[in-house]
Amino acid sequence: MKNRLPSPYGTLINRENPIQFEFDSKTYNGFHGDTIASALTANKKTLLSRSFKYHRPRGALTMAGQDANTMVQLPSNPNALADRELIGEGLTVTGQNFSGSLEKDRGEWLGLFSRFLPVGFYYKAFFKPRGIWEKWAPLIRKKAGLGVIDQQLVPDYYDKQYKFFDVVIIGGGPAGMQAAIESAVEGCEVLLVDENPSLGGSLNYSRFDVEGTRGKKQLDELLDAINAKPNISVMTNAVCNGWFADNWLPIVTKRRLYKVRAKQTIMCTGSLEQPAIFHNNDLPGVMMSSAAQRLVHLYAVSPGSQAVIVTGNNDGYGTALDLDDAGVKVNAIVDLRDKPIYDDIAKAAVARGIRIETRMTVYAAHSKGGNHVAEVDIRKIISQGICAVQGEVITCDLLCMSVGYTPTYQLACQAGGQLTYDDQSAMFSLQNCPESLQLAGSVNSLWTLDAVLLEAKRAATIATNALKFTKTQVTDRVTEKTLSPNHPWPIFAHPKGKEFIDFDEDLTIADIINATGDGYEHIQLVKRYSTCGMGPSQGRHSALAAARLVAAATNRTVAETGVTTARPPFSAEQLGHSAGRSFYPARRSNMHYRHLEAGAEMLQAGAWYRPAFYHSKNNDRQTCIDKEVSNVRDNVGLVDVSTLGGIEVRGADASEFLNRFYTFGFLKQPVGKARYALLTNEAGVVIDDGVACRFGNNHYYVTATTGGVDRVYQNMLKWNAQWRLDVDIANVTSAYCGVNIAGPNARAVLRKVCSDVDLSAEAFPYMGVRLGNVGEIPARLIRVGFVGELGYEIHVPQQYGEALWDALMSAGNEHNIQPFGIEAQRVLRLEKGHIIIGQDTDAMSNPNEVQMGWAVSRNKPFFVGGRTIAELEKKSSLRCLVGFVIDDSEAPMPKESHLVVDDEQMTGRVTSCNFSPTLGKAIGLAYVPPQKTGAGSIIEIKSLGGVRVLAKVVELPFFDPDNARQEL
Amino acid sequence: MTTLDPSRGVRRSQLYRRHINNNAVFKQMGTNFIVSHYGNGNSEQTQARSMAICDLSTLPRIGFKGTCAPNWAESQRLTLPNSANMSAIQPDGCLVAKLSDQELLILSDIFTDGPQVATLTEKSSQDHAESDTQTYLLPRGDSHCWLAVTGEQAAEMFSKVCGVDLRPHKFTRGHIAQTSVAKTNAIVIRHDLGQTLSYFILCDISATEFLWDCLLDAMQEYDGSPVGISALEQLVASQ
Repeated sequence: MKNRLPSPYGTLINRENPIQFEFDSKTYNGFHGDTIASALTANKKTLLSRSFKYHRPRGALTMAGQDANTMVQLPSNPNALADRELIGEGLTVTGQNFSGSLEKDRGEWLGLFSRFLPVGFYYKAFFKPRGIWEKWAPLIRKKAGLGVIDQQLVPDYYDKQYKFFDVVIIGGGPAGMQAAIESAVEGCEVLLVDENPSLGGSLNYSRFDVEGTRGKKQLDELLDAINAKPNISVMTNAVCNGWFADNWLPIVTKRRLYKVRAKQTIMCTGSLEQPAIFHNNDLPGVMMSSAAQRLVHLYAVSPGSQAVIVTGNNDGYGTALDLDDAGVKVNAIVDLRDKPIYDDIAKAAVARGIRIETRMTVYAAHSKGGNHVAEVDIRKIISQGICAVQGEVITCDLLCMSVGYTPTYQLACQAGGQLTYDDQSAMFSLQNCPESLQLAGSVNSLWTLDAVLLEAKRAATIATNALKFTKTQVTDRVTEKTLSPNHPWPIFAHPKGKEFIDFDEDLTIADIINATGDGYEHIQLVKRYSTCGMGPSQGRHSALAAARLVAAATNRTVAETGVTTARPPFSAEQLGHSAGRSFYPARRSNMHYRHLEAGAEMLQAGAWYRPAFYHSKNNDRQTCIDKEVSNVRDNVGLVDVSTLGGIEVRGADASEFLNRFYTFGFLKQPVGKARYALLTNEAGVVIDDGVACRFGNNHYYVTATTGGVDRVYQNMLKWNAQWRLDVDIANVTSAYCGVNIAGPNARAVLRKVCSDVDLSAEAFPYMGVRLGNVGEIPARLIRVGFVGELGYEIHVPQQYGEALWDALMSAGNEHNIQPFGIEAQRVLRLEKGHIIIGQDTDAMSNPNEVQMGWAVSRNKPFFVGGRTIAELEKKSSLRCLVGFVIDDSEAPMPKESHLVVDDEQMTGRVTSCNFSPTLGKAIGLAYVPPQKTGAGSIIEIKSLGGVRVLAKVVELPFFDPDNARQEL
Repeated sequence: MTTLDPSRGVRRSQLYRRHINNNAVFKQMGTNFIVSHYGNGNSEQTQARSMAICDLSTLPRIGFKGTCAPNWAESQRLTLPNSANMSAIQPDGCLVAKLSDQELLILSDIFTDGPQVATLTEKSSQDHAESDTQTYLLPRGDSHCWLAVTGEQAAEMFSKVCGVDLRPHKFTRGHIAQTSVAKTNAIVIRHDLGQTLSYFILCDISATEFLWDCLLDAMQEYDGSPVGISALEQLVASQ
């Protein structure tokens, strides 16, 4: 590998473990621990991607996974960050967003037309003239998007886990490590999180002294201390992607999302080095100083052979020493400052004979026809942002930028911290963080190692005091005497433009200025109009420069201008982390597998699995349902009703409670009887129904609909919290399994297994309830007729469910008993004219509209919704639910929600419609206007495909109007 | 050993098919069938010490609720925990869990088919026949499944499915959390078996299979698997 440095360079790579991989159809070598970007740079391959808009060549910028320049395509993952993603044996990597080849991208011509693609181009181009969007859309859609999704991908297993700590420290640099140690010493459970493969942050690559040894020495000391503390947990390669209330921290690792609760959080998120803004500042070979240092120290990669460093602080001098040590010829340090402060490191650079130019800048970089920086044009700074007309060209293949930093403020701002800008230091700083969040390190605007470590101790003390582990006097905030590392204006416009503010979106100085010129002066509007900061790097390297430019263009201070809101997630996260292992609770009755064994097709009703119908040989779905219906009408069938809600209402005031809660009267309901229970809300709207079974003077067992029982139970609790009646309410839905055995032979079958209850019509009439046994199983028996036949609902403790099913199926064998599903049940109840709450009612349905006025007691002083119903009854109804039949057997069957129309006017809608095997025609329920409610009225239904179907209104029920069958 | 078939009993755990498919050998406790062990049962004790799950759903349990329920329970010589969300082991081995000031859950001794729950049920039906005594029986044996999760990895496993900190030094013996486990309402009780970290977990019985599958999935990375009641007995016996 051409650019590889010898040991001890390369703390993250293992030279004993060579790896071969492919990039753009060529094979490259690297080492275990290399990122794609470091391995390619080691092979002198610096062109990694093409920019989004102009297809400009791009290479490594930060080497920290913080920018979009390194986005590459992996076989199953687009937009992977090449400076974050590790190489693996046989890994295939390709470039993104090019036409032709990465080296010779035919899309590069777009850059020639950049002056015709100004900021806001999208809005201006597509807004008018009318219809122009149709012309643009195909072109834009073809160009939009980065990378290719593998639609055949079988996703990896993603997981989630909760974690709990006293103190969570985000950022494992020197501040984070020191804060972790201090917190742990006091006994706190500590989590230290870092996005990099190893702890240490800048200690791994920055230069803190002339000899270049302090970083490692300090790192070793801190690591030793951390390793000695069992109460410190460390997560590396882990990104805290947001801050939510009460220190709820989502921490993302490769395949797991940790949901961490912290009592105290210490943010040591460090700072982000910022680019200088000049012509062609985006060429491969132009990178942050820290990126060059990372390549050298972490990956043993020489980032170039001849370097120029443009700097506004002394960190650039440290980079020069590092490069010089690594054998890179430093052709010049170009210092923007008039009078640099020569500390020991700067003096060492001078002593090594490195050329230093002050009050100068890089005015432009040039590639000389290639895809990599080849020379830079340096010029004297005349005034803010203005350079001399003439400059000097210096040859180089590496340009390092070290002109300042922004604190990594995103998480702290999400927690409520405020970003302020100090004109003196030309720097953002964070204020007003919540009490449970401390800051330490460069995110807190401290830059020297000693100050950082001291402040970290202070932050830890505040945290441990808050947690009552300590009662230590907190010292004043640490102050430094060093000058700010930020240059106030490292921005130099060029007549040919291409001085990029936002690399993600190819936005230049002119774009930002023009946005303000178009009237978008607020930074948030500039963002939305120009898309500055909306790309993958979310303004990490554009926010500061954009704020400065907008401030200057609008005659405000940078502090007044501010930055845009930093919302979570902090960095891109895989959809798998959100989708990952999720829970979709599923409920099954104890008889579930008996249904499957009988050939049931199951459907989900809420969380419950219910048998829709049972397949039978050589029959289609409709035939199966029709047969199930006929078997109930002519013989006997068995349906699982375990999903029905069941609520015990017990206590001295049980009758009074039901009397207030439901529309009917319950005070005089005899023991041993069931009564229909219709529930309305305060607005008089029907919201549920069931039966109230009185098993004792003070004991009711009330059923509710499958989907409505939770609401009914909640409402019961809510109302009784006001009424304070002597009653206990318990939701026992799951505690009971239930079946309905229905049909003319139901009694004969049940009699075979239920000997302790007199099942005769006289002794156990319709709407009677009894306690008894079915075989050995204790049971509650309820004579109800939802399907309009002689029938018994049998409710037994849940774990007896399967045995109950077995007993009844076995007893019914000689009668050829058959199970039926809820599809058949729907037909059966429709034939009987029974409504289903939620299907035949909506959010406006009152009892009279749905012909349930008979279930409302007008003689009791109060029930929920009673007053509203009384008022509604004074007015004429606007609609009514009626039954209809369709005599034309060729007409397409209407579906639920098909419209009832009068010419083109919508006058109602269908709520239920099925073919009735019993009547041999389609029947249904529909809301119609009052003038159409009379039997014999003809209504028009707009059925499938807009076909108009004529239906005749009939009296309900459709079948057995005298109830003779169910009262057998 | 005679092979017992749980489908011959009238009372069947929602999970019995899964147990049969996993080569379970059942034993009878009272009228109920429970998994003794799976396969030949080798190393189930070791498994239970590390990470395991056991279905106790067919064992007796009962609940009482109401303003007079605590007094009545004490009159039945049950020792109640001092505060809600705590449990107390009784001299006869059953466990009284105080879910609120007016609600109790009583779990039978898992190793015996003792009469505690049946006796209480019968006594309650005598004392509260008219349901106006402000003590109401709750059919916890059928409303909730009952699982045991055991082993030193149990808390770590729970952290994948539950938002409550159940680590042993934070959630000490006898504590109860009424919370959500895998998006299902659940009662979690810290109830160590011998020296082994263990939890009882009870959830809506209709969601038994769902929760069982979720817990097995979550414990996969810790090599967790189902064990029978015999392994739990060994945990206690070997303390």
